[in-house]
Amino acid sequence: MKRFYPLIKVWQARWLRLFIGLILAELSICAAFLLMGQTGSRLGLIATAGAFVTFGLLRWAGSARLILRYGERLATHDATFRVLADIRLWFYRRLARGAAAGLGFRRTGDLLTRLVSDVQSLDSLYLRIIIPLATALLSLPIVIFICLKGSMLLAFSIAIIFCLTAFILPAFMARMSYRWGPVLQQAQSEMNNQALELVSGMKELRIFGQEDAAKARLFAAEEAFYQAQRQQSRAMARTHTLALFLTRLGVICALGGCAGLFFSKEQAVIGITVLFVVMTALNNIVDLPRAGLIAGQVCHAAERIIEATKMPVSQPPEGSRPAPKGYDITAQALSFGWSEGRSTLKNINFTLREGERVALIGPSGAGKSSLAALLLKVVLPQEGCLTLGGTDIADIKTEIVRERIAWLSQASHLFDDTIRANLLLGREAPSDEVIWAALEQAQIADFVRSLPDGLESWVGENGSQLSGGQGRRIALARVLLSNAPILILDEPCTGLDIDTERAFLKTLNQLDRSRTILLITHRLTGIEQLDRLWTLQDGLLTSHIP
Amino acid sequence: MLKGWVRQQNRANRSATMSLALIGMLNVVTGMVLMWSLASMLATWLAGGQHATPYPMVVLFIIASLVRVFLGYLQETLALHVGEEARKRLRRSIVERFFAQGPSLLRHQHSAALAAMVTDRVEALEGYFARWLPASALWVVAQWSVVVVVFWQNHHAGYILGACCLFLPVFQAVFGIATAIASRRQILALNRLQVRFLDRIRGIATIVLSGNAVKDSEELGHAADELRQRTMKVLRVAFLTSASTDLAMIVALIGIVIDQHHRLQQGSFSSIESIIFAVLMVPEAFAPFRALSAAYQDRAQITHSGEALQKLPALQAPITPERTSSVAPERTKAGIALDVRDVSYRWVEDRPLALDHVSFHLEPGQIALLTGPSGAGKSTLIEALLGFIRPLEGQISLGGVDIQTLHPADVTRQISWIGQKPVLFAGSLKENIMFAAPHASEAQFQAALEASAITHYLPLLPEGVETRLGEGGFGLSGGQAQRIAIARAFLKDASLLIMDEPTAHLDPETEGDILTALKPLLQGRTAVISTHSQQFQGIGERYHLLMEQGRLTVQEGQS
Repeated sequence: MKRFYPLIKVWQARWLRLFIGLILAELSICAAFLLMGQTGSRLGLIATAGAFVTFGLLRWAGSARLILRYGERLATHDATFRVLADIRLWFYRRLARGAAAGLGFRRTGDLLTRLVSDVQSLDSLYLRIIIPLATALLSLPIVIFICLKGSMLLAFSIAIIFCLTAFILPAFMARMSYRWGPVLQQAQSEMNNQALELVSGMKELRIFGQEDAAKARLFAAEEAFYQAQRQQSRAMARTHTLALFLTRLGVICALGGCAGLFFSKEQAVIGITVLFVVMTALNNIVDLPRAGLIAGQVCHAAERIIEATKMPVSQPPEGSRPAPKGYDITAQALSFGWSEGRSTLKNINFTLREGERVALIGPSGAGKSSLAALLLKVVLPQEGCLTLGGTDIADIKTEIVRERIAWLSQASHLFDDTIRANLLLGREAPSDEVIWAALEQAQIADFVRSLPDGLESWVGENGSQLSGGQGRRIALARVLLSNAPILILDEPCTGLDIDTERAFLKTLNQLDRSRTILLITHRLTGIEQLDRLWTLQDGLLTSHIP
Repeated sequence: MLKGWVRQQNRANRSATMSLALIGMLNVVTGMVLMWSLASMLATWLAGGQHATPYPMVVLFIIASLVRVFLGYLQETLALHVGEEARKRLRRSIVERFFAQGPSLLRHQHSAALAAMVTDRVEALEGYFARWLPASALWVVAQWSVVVVVFWQNHHAGYILGACCLFLPVFQAVFGIATAIASRRQILALNRLQVRFLDRIRGIATIVLSGNAVKDSEELGHAADELRQRTMKVLRVAFLTSASTDLAMIVALIGIVIDQHHRLQQGSFSSIESIIFAVLMVPEAFAPFRALSAAYQDRAQITHSGEALQKLPALQAPITPERTSSVAPERTKAGIALDVRDVSYRWVEDRPLALDHVSFHLEPGQIALLTGPSGAGKSTLIEALLGFIRPLEGQISLGGVDIQTLHPADVTRQISWIGQKPVLFAGSLKENIMFAAPHASEAQFQAALEASAITHYLPLLPEGVETRLGEGGFGLSGGQAQRIAIARAFLKDASLLIMDEPTAHLDPETEGDILTALKPLLQGRTAVISTHSQQFQGIGERYHLLMEQGRLTVQEGQS
């Protein structure tokens, strides 16, 4: 439970609303008992006495149940959505403070999608687990109390059946689903991978006549996934059947009461009341084992969320120094590795002067992106130091570093928003002229002008309304608009087809020369007008004049 | 369009739906027996001590209880089976559809979106087939058969229950329409906000690295709050629907009890048994409708999935009738003759032709270099040569045979292809090469490794030819990956070689190495190579094709 503490704290902030929802749910279940109990006792009275039966309480119970149920639904859902909104925000902030910067250097799209649906799945915790469990907890003493009016033995047997169905079976189911969670997920992601290969490799599959083999692989993965799913669902079906059986057994016990097994037949009215109440109570808990199943899944979701929001151990310090005056960058005896003992950069020295244009080339995995991560203060060097305008980057406020050094890569994300919002990213809006100037420089202004909505055009999910090259140009315009004096262009052409790449490099060559540009790339084709060329190989950096 | 597709899905699943509904109906009938035996027992006991316990009723009650438990189990396992079968069927039909359309599909939609169509979109439909369809087939019949049976036992109780059940559709209509209006107003905003959160999280690195996280989180907070308010607006109305169901049931319950009391007072002769039976049947009458409401969420999924599928481009009409040629294309020692006559193609109606009456001819063994600016139609021409798209006009002949008259498999047998970047499948390096010719011998495999110069970098791989590549495997560099594509082409040994910018993503040095590896591959083969690289100029007997705006503007042979 302790590991969920950060999440519990978010829930705590809304305790009052959650509590009110809970109370309404409890009251609503009480009204249901009253309604059914009254129905039973009135029926008994009609049958035995005939005269002078009053129905006031029955009517009241009916209306109360109706109103409370509606109120309960509203209150519990409202509370849930409030908490969910809080959790979203909390999750975003935690991620932004901790791991987020590093995410730019890893391929994590799927992981993040998973996490977002994990956050979503937390809504069942309150609505489908806590509330039903709490009402079951309250029902138990009510049922026992009413059964005690009949006999001790009846109350005892009903209590056992109730506890088995409402608590033991769900707990068992929760354990099972918790254990199977990873297996199921593994099987499902294997199926998803096969589907992705089948689609993205369609050309290869067609040319080499392997379409049937790919289909067979996908269907084999599907079968494995369904097999895992079947195993869990069958266990669920058996548990549910057991719960059904137990509730029937409970009804039979209560019926035994009416038959005079537990108390004298003269108390038939009490017998029928007890029967109706027991039937209501057991009907309410028969689905709790399903809640157990969800509990196992929610537990995994919560664990993943907690894991993702943990602060990385070697988080660079916030820093406090203001912005330095100059923008020269120097590295002295810089060494860095993503994991202990394996340095990707060894004893690197360089100076990058204001306004210089430098290309950093080297094979993939040589540590080019590590250098970008160091400059953006995503990580700290293990040895040596990196200065901006003479001040150690570690001491400058992180936000200021990132205002001064703008980064463009393949991973630069285009948001499902307007072009304007994508360019500004929440910054204070400069005048339209400034925006157009940046678009002009990125050579995308003509295209934006041709759109019916201009700057207000929606770019679509991950820029889906734009072509690859257009999207990259919008991202470039965003970087240019940021006023950062230093630009790091980290393999900006990855993933573009070759025609688009050529056009994009042409755009880069035509940028004005007012800013420092560090272009990170694995090959030199298409790049002109360089001041210097750095090559990075085996962790060592050498500088050439082209 | 969409409705037609949904109807088609429902039809395909009809027998499964009906068997589930049948079990549901049996369950309802067993419920009647159960409640009837219960009612008659209670009536006996309430009548006083002189009556003996009605043992047959007790036995009937216990049997009915057990049958119900069993039916519950049966229903659940059958629903599982039905959901699984339906998903399998749908997945197969979508995959077939993909392959019928061929690789040109990737021009229309991103591969991740297409992959989601056969995975998530299909998985989301389990509830639709396993719960919604049976529940919607069952509920009216089940509910009204309960009403009829109650009416048969006790006319007045039957009237009341019937009236309440009759109100249900009215409530549903009123509140359902209100919900629809409320959600139509909100749903667009809702969707946008939901997508927005996912989008922000996916792009969080971009925001953090541009130093805007704090401002953005405030904005996100507002958005999250707005999302909640809008959701609640819809729910407030939607809950009225469930409240109306509660109302109908409570009114039926109380109404029957009070009405029967009055009638007894006035000296009616309704049996106690029938009164108790009527009261016990009230929840049973509403249970099928509740099952339907619980599955309501599942219904929306079919629309989502259907809409995604409708976005796929229309299939070209099938071409089967003319597939008559039994002559195999003639392959000579030097390669195969390729003849393109007046080929035209357009991707979208109303747009200019992507290929505008393109004609050229290659003798066996000739190598054509295809150049031209971006968007000139080079890739369209290549896709036409590969048979991925069918020309609107004109014909392409291979070894003297029109490819339209050949079985697609016979066409691809003649062709190898090397693209800008090969797709590496999750599997060993050997599997990744061998899939080009699964029946090739070990000696042929070794020869392909040698010829493509993979042997040069093999020692660098942790497990040699067994090194795992693809998702989660060893990452090869661009040049290393391209050699895999070359090895595949060697192994396949086709007579026509088509290359689409094979060295575009490589640096000049690696490009030189790749060209060296390509030279032996070009021996004894006809080739069409789309490229910008100057290095290809020295590759052998050449034929130069220049494309501009869908036309071949220059064609000249050089040797």
